[in-house]
Amino acid sequence: MKKYISIFLILIISLFSFTGCNQSKQKFTDYSFDFFDTASTIIGYETDEETFKENCEKIKSWLLEYHKLYDIYNSYDGITNLCDINKSTGKTIKADPKIINLLQYAKELYKKTDGKLNVALGSVLSIWHNYREYGLKHPEDATLPPENALLDASNHTDINDVIIDSNANTVLIKDAKLSLDVGAIAKGYAAQKVAEQMENAGMNGYLLNLGGNVKIVGKRDDGEKWQIGIENPDRTSAEAYAEEMELDNDLSLVTSGSYQRFYIVNGNNYHHIIDPETLLPAEYFTSVSVLCEDSALADGLSTALFCLNFEDGKKLLSQFEKVSVLWVTQGGKKLYYGDFEKYCK
Amino acid sequence: MVSKKLRNDILLVGGIVVFALLLFVVFKLNLKDGNLVKVSIDNQMKDCYNFNEDGEYTITSGKNTNVLVIKDGTAFIKSADCPDKICVHHRPISKVGETIVCLPHKVVVEIIKE
Repeated sequence: MKKYISIFLILIISLFSFTGCNQSKQKFTDYSFDFFDTASTIIGYETDEETFKENCEKIKSWLLEYHKLYDIYNSYDGITNLCDINKSTGKTIKADPKIINLLQYAKELYKKTDGKLNVALGSVLSIWHNYREYGLKHPEDATLPPENALLDASNHTDINDVIIDSNANTVLIKDAKLSLDVGAIAKGYAAQKVAEQMENAGMNGYLLNLGGNVKIVGKRDDGEKWQIGIENPDRTSAEAYAEEMELDNDLSLVTSGSYQRFYIVNGNNYHHIIDPETLLPAEYFTSVSVLCEDSALADGLSTALFCLNFEDGKKLLSQFEKVSVLWVTQGGKKLYYGDFEKYCK
Repeated sequence: MVSKKLRNDILLVGGIVVFALLLFVVFKLNLKDGNLVKVSIDNQMKDCYNFNEDGEYTITSGKNTNVLVIKDGTAFIKSADCPDKICVHHRPISKVGETIVCLPHKVVVEIIKE
């Protein structure tokens, strides 16, 4: 009998320890605002704050390097970035392999998405960007870009005018009016590469969130999954989330939405995801979330799918393996592809 | 017929289980009650407010202000002088781990467990 009692006692003690503070690792969070014009969150499970802070410094120095290289608005001393490359059309420019590899990846995705993901769309996007920025500052004077300006700009968006030599690490933009804008893919690409660097540095149980571009790094010690909510694009709804997800295993979840970055003209919302064909904000969905391991692919696909209807989106997805998707339509209907629902609570 | 000793043992174990469950419940309730609203600016903790006490707080950094309201178990930004107003449009938060971010002001409002 004594034996049973001791087993009972052990069970009770273990019950206590599950409810109590037996975590050898604690959760730490770091917020930064220095990368890709968005808020970045690093969450990590570490034994002590010092280790976490040291790791964050490393992660942030890697992110900063990608941020500077992919910045199209500012130049920096000592490096050649996309802003410099955009200003040097007609000349062959030597560039960091991190730029060359990004542009090559973007060209691949251009082919696979039938041009829906086009990093050569800068001349069109910059017009929208300027009208949006002005409209946000002066809501009463907000206007839409003139159609002919958009059409003129769209004549200078041929990605084949961007010549990459990956052996020599050079870029040549043949069209003087073409400009690169990697906004649709840079965050995801950087998140993926930094996650790989983190793994190589032995960091485990981390989550990187670059403004809605989420990438999980390694496994959590406690074996628990990460709880991630996908914001409900309908702000008037009582439901805070379109879906609540449980994720682990180095997965990445990227959401493109029309509900955050937009401006209002005559009572209508005009958001920031521009369809390369219509040159207007894409109107099929209010949010598209892509779940797969590669954060760069998730990022690129979420933008491309935003500019395609459901049927064409599914056709695009048939080229890829282990990619799953949630679309939220204008009417608030949810559509799924692949295993997406398996990860929903 | 169960021996007295065994009966006492069962009572003891039963008592401990009940005690453990009681403690567990109290522990859980306490966690819920102890939630805080943490406000940080540029990753530096600025203030922590009791999530269970309704109140209105002005978050300032330089010339920037965001007005935080804690009411009926939710927290939200009532007004702000940032250009995009994304924080004001953000729906109220109520669960541990949820955040409201004001990018231009580098403000993060987060519900934490304490």
